Amino acid sequence: MPDQKAISTNQMQKTFKTRQGFWRRTTRVTEAVRDVTFEVNKGELFGLLGPNGAGKTTSVKMLSTLLLPTSGTITILGLDILRDTTEVRKRIGFTFGGARGLYGRLTAVENLRYFAELYAMEPALTRKRIPELLELVNLLDRGNDKVETYSSGMQQRLHLARALLHDPELIFLDEPTVGIDPVGARELRATIKELKARGKTILLTTHYMAEADELCDRIAIINKGRIIAMDTPAGMKSGMTSESVINLRTSNENLTALKAILSPIDGKATILCKENTVQSEVSIRTAHPSRVIEVISPWLNTDLIQTMEMRSQTLEDVYVAIIQNEEANG
Amino acid sequence: MGNFLRLALRQMDVQLRMRVLSLWSLGLFFTQPAIFSAVGMLLAHAAGNANPDLIYTVIGGGIMGMWSGLVFTSTFDIRADRREGTLELIVGSPTPLRRVVGFRSLLNILAGSTSMLAAVTAAVLIFDYSFAGINVPAVILSFALLLFGLWCMGIFLANLLAWSRLSGTFVDLLEMPIALLCGFMYPISVLPSWMQYISVVFPIRWSLQAMREAMRGTAANAELLSLWGISLGISLVFYLFSHWLDVKVHDHIRVTGELHSI
Repeated sequence: MPDQKAISTNQMQKTFKTRQGFWRRTTRVTEAVRDVTFEVNKGELFGLLGPNGAGKTTSVKMLSTLLLPTSGTITILGLDILRDTTEVRKRIGFTFGGARGLYGRLTAVENLRYFAELYAMEPALTRKRIPELLELVNLLDRGNDKVETYSSGMQQRLHLARALLHDPELIFLDEPTVGIDPVGARELRATIKELKARGKTILLTTHYMAEADELCDRIAIINKGRIIAMDTPAGMKSGMTSESVINLRTSNENLTALKAILSPIDGKATILCKENTVQSEVSIRTAHPSRVIEVISPWLNTDLIQTMEMRSQTLEDVYVAIIQNEEANG
Repeated sequence: MGNFLRLALRQMDVQLRMRVLSLWSLGLFFTQPAIFSAVGMLLAHAAGNANPDLIYTVIGGGIMGMWSGLVFTSTFDIRADRREGTLELIVGSPTPLRRVVGFRSLLNILAGSTSMLAAVTAAVLIFDYSFAGINVPAVILSFALLLFGLWCMGIFLANLLAWSRLSGTFVDLLEMPIALLCGFMYPISVLPSWMQYISVVFPIRWSLQAMREAMRGTAANAELLSLWGISLGISLVFYLFSHWLDVKVHDHIRVTGELHSI
């Protein structure tokens, strides 16, 4: 039976050593990724979420053969990344967020031709693939313009076209929508959905929870180099608890008074206060929303509570809760 | 073979348009050598030499252009790719980095040879340089070995730059000392003997010496053969060392994560 796993890692670990000082040299050790073990099935869209510096990009770089793991094993499409590096590279595509990674003085078509040669693509196939891909990423009419004239969103879409040139089975997308306007991000998400529909396996890293919720079959949350949660987006939302979120707004002057009113529910809810320039926001996450409503209802329609909104948990709430629990527990 | 040639042409095409056809590179290939040649002529005249040896003064300036162009374009390539984020895309492709570096260095050498061509043209048209007695086949072979030696040194320097971004400063500092040690613009015999000992490790010193002798038509075949042999041998040592370094670089940059660093 063929291996159905596109990615398989076992205790993947990456440690960076940096030397500091000129006369008195000291070595600083940073554990970027620690004992990460997970699997991604073929055809799956898997999300890797985490705060800045959590180890997402380092993980993707190890999976895409750009970094060597300090320890642990990584298998990509049934191939060992250390032993079968070149074969792995032929079968994967990757993009990293940001505007870097393209030759600005060349056109999009010339950039794609250049990278097609690096993947030893036949000229006839290259000629066929380039317009197809430019159409897929909505750049066909700008294909002969220099890349330095492109917006960040267009460059990001061109990155995706580049990653897809050799028709890879597995695609790594590291923060593909970072720095892109909402329209561009929506177009890129539509392209990613289309790729998934075509049977591609995709590993996506992102900061945007709504994006992960919309696109991913499964997600893993990584913090300080370790995976601390892994499930489907729905499973993660329901599995966390059946908590609801109540958001209140008040003036900055009334924030202390509102906190005092909420003191009876302390211990039954997680209360987060955020003081803005004019208004303050109070976010209450609770498994007992009726109890909270009971406490605050006398104060509704007063100056103390200007607006109230109640909703079920989003992936972002779950993500924040998981990260905060992790931080609280050290 | 088709793939190999297409890759070579594409690399050289991009290299030409991205790096070589710039005012900076053209300055390296033409303006700087012209200044060196002019200074060489002035110094020779100031020293009382009314008929300076054009092989050293004018043509030597052209060799300076080839060398400076090679040092800066070959090393600048890796720095530029690292800065532009394309280095990790190249390393992450199935094509070995050494092949990319090799084709780019070849284009740099060929572009640099226009500097030499311009210098020879200037020597003939402006200073009435005579080719009397020239041993044409020997000059061609010496020039080919000069190009090969420069190419081997170019890929070695490029690998050194890929190894660590810090090595850039070191490589920049090598430009003038190697030019001085290899006697681009004067006979190497004028150097102190300890400097002559250092310069023996550079293949271009030997191919240059062979080329000058062949241009004058004064050297015996045996002497030329020994100069060619030494040049080729040292070039191959550089090439083998570059190959070894390339493997080390590939692992090293994937351990340290220096692929994307500026």
